[in-house]
Amino acid sequence: MMTEADYYALFEAYSHGELAGPARTSLEARLSADPDFALRYADFTELTGTLRAYRQRQQTRQQLRGIHAAMLAAEAPAEVSLPATGLTHTVNPMLRISRTERKLREFWSGHRATVGVAASVAVMAVFATLLGLDIWRNSKVQPSLYGYNVMRREINNLKKSQTDIKRKINRIDDSVVPTPPTSNFSGTGFALTSEGYIVTSYHVIQGADSLLIEGKNHQRYHAEPVYSDIKHDLAILRITDKKFTGFGRLPYAVKSGQADLGERVFTLGYPREDVVYGEGSLSARSGFEGDTAFYQVSIPVNPGNSGGPLLDERGNLIGVVSGRQNDAQSAAFATKSSYLVRLVDSLAATAKATAPYHLPRYGQLAGSGRPQQLKKLQDYVFVVKVYEKD
Amino acid sequence: MSRGNPTSSSLTPTDDALIAAIRSGDERALAHLYRLHWPMVSHFVLQNSGSEDDAQDVYQEGVMVFYEKVRDGSLELSCQIKTYLYAVCRRLWLKRLTSKSRFGVRLLDDEEHGPYLNTGAEEDVLAAEEQDRRFATMSEALNHLGEPCRSLLEGFYLLDKSMQDLTSEFGYTNADNAKNQKYKCLVRLKKLFFAHYKEEPI
Repeated sequence: MMTEADYYALFEAYSHGELAGPARTSLEARLSADPDFALRYADFTELTGTLRAYRQRQQTRQQLRGIHAAMLAAEAPAEVSLPATGLTHTVNPMLRISRTERKLREFWSGHRATVGVAASVAVMAVFATLLGLDIWRNSKVQPSLYGYNVMRREINNLKKSQTDIKRKINRIDDSVVPTPPTSNFSGTGFALTSEGYIVTSYHVIQGADSLLIEGKNHQRYHAEPVYSDIKHDLAILRITDKKFTGFGRLPYAVKSGQADLGERVFTLGYPREDVVYGEGSLSARSGFEGDTAFYQVSIPVNPGNSGGPLLDERGNLIGVVSGRQNDAQSAAFATKSSYLVRLVDSLAATAKATAPYHLPRYGQLAGSGRPQQLKKLQDYVFVVKVYEKD
Repeated sequence: MSRGNPTSSSLTPTDDALIAAIRSGDERALAHLYRLHWPMVSHFVLQNSGSEDDAQDVYQEGVMVFYEKVRDGSLELSCQIKTYLYAVCRRLWLKRLTSKSRFGVRLLDDEEHGPYLNTGAEEDVLAAEEQDRRFATMSEALNHLGEPCRSLLEGFYLLDKSMQDLTSEFGYTNADNAKNQKYKCLVRLKKLFFAHYKEEPI
């Protein structure tokens, strides 16, 4: 009985053609007669064939590596001799790039997609942030009732320094006045009658929970809204303090007619902690978008000026400052005093006897110089502080 | 090797002559072919997020496919060698990229070397992969064989040593002993090889 190894010896001899005549014919006869035996032979040839091909493959790989190395070696001197020949470009620039540049190129070709994605994400993030901020800011600015920018002042940003200052003042006065709650908004107001009625713009007290009137010398009064005219942006307040006795005689008269185009006008207001004077002329007898209840005046106004009195040269009250148009140069608007008079008249008809309206008829300011006028006026112009419910 | 000046060698530049020379075993012809098309493939791989080393691997693999087919005489070229090589290397690089990348792969193609479709490269690459798998199995089987069988067979089949050399190297008393040992080893290798090779799914 032959072992498999013996068969393999036989097969190898056979495939090398070393087998002599009779043995060869008997083997061939057996191969064609016995399928199992033929299969065994096929396995043998496949095995040795694979081994040979494997060797062939390894040799070829070795050979190709050699060729590649030789090719690189052939290129290397060319790279060095390049400057000497003074050539500025080569036939195939892909093969003649410096080491650094090759690194860069490899990096770029390897990470091109990633870099692109990162860059576009960054760009989109920037624009989304800018857009988002813009939308957010716009949503914070509520459009006013009147189409133009109303000039009441937000005090939140000033709140801290203001309380600090007040605390200091309190300490200096050595009084025990508790720190008042800080106001959310402020505007200007002025005395309407000597009995304690005060006029301001409606938008100043809009949404107010409580109101505080503060004069030039820091005298403070509590006030309550008596009447509001939303359409003409007017509000009338009344001082509610018990100890309040009256303003005394008001220095200005309220004009019931219309003022003329081109009249020199001025206003006092509290866009800051201190009273600020503003001057200009009456530039149109209608307001924003042709609203005849308003004048247009060329006085620079700022947040906080709202509700301030608008007076003519002779010291007659001709309007109440309301706001300005942002996209036009120094176009401020003021409610006409005739509307104020009409409002007061209609209120006086229904008013209780305890609080009659006595509008000042005659002014005392005509003829005196502007500084003297202002000196008298200052006592009747107030800061209106508005506290909103938290 | 006439590496310094490949264009002035005795080769005619036509593909047929080159193939004939390679088939006859002319190493210079192979070197010439290798140098001739290297820039193209290197450029292609570098363009498609590969490195210099990747390019070398892919190109050598591609030339190997071509070379083995030429040596077999089984090459049926329906286009230029350049196009065929481009198609083979493109296919190989695509495979590597796909296995490497999590995303879909899109290649930047060099129009100059198209049309790379219908060159028969696809089937040839598949056949080459099958062959690769067979060689991997063989290598595996050899590793499992254990000494001295492995060294003996490697010496005989892979390193091409004569039976006399192996007899003295492994300390056999005579060549017949060594031969018998070799056949026994071959039988064991056969079992290992076919056990691994057949059980893998095709």
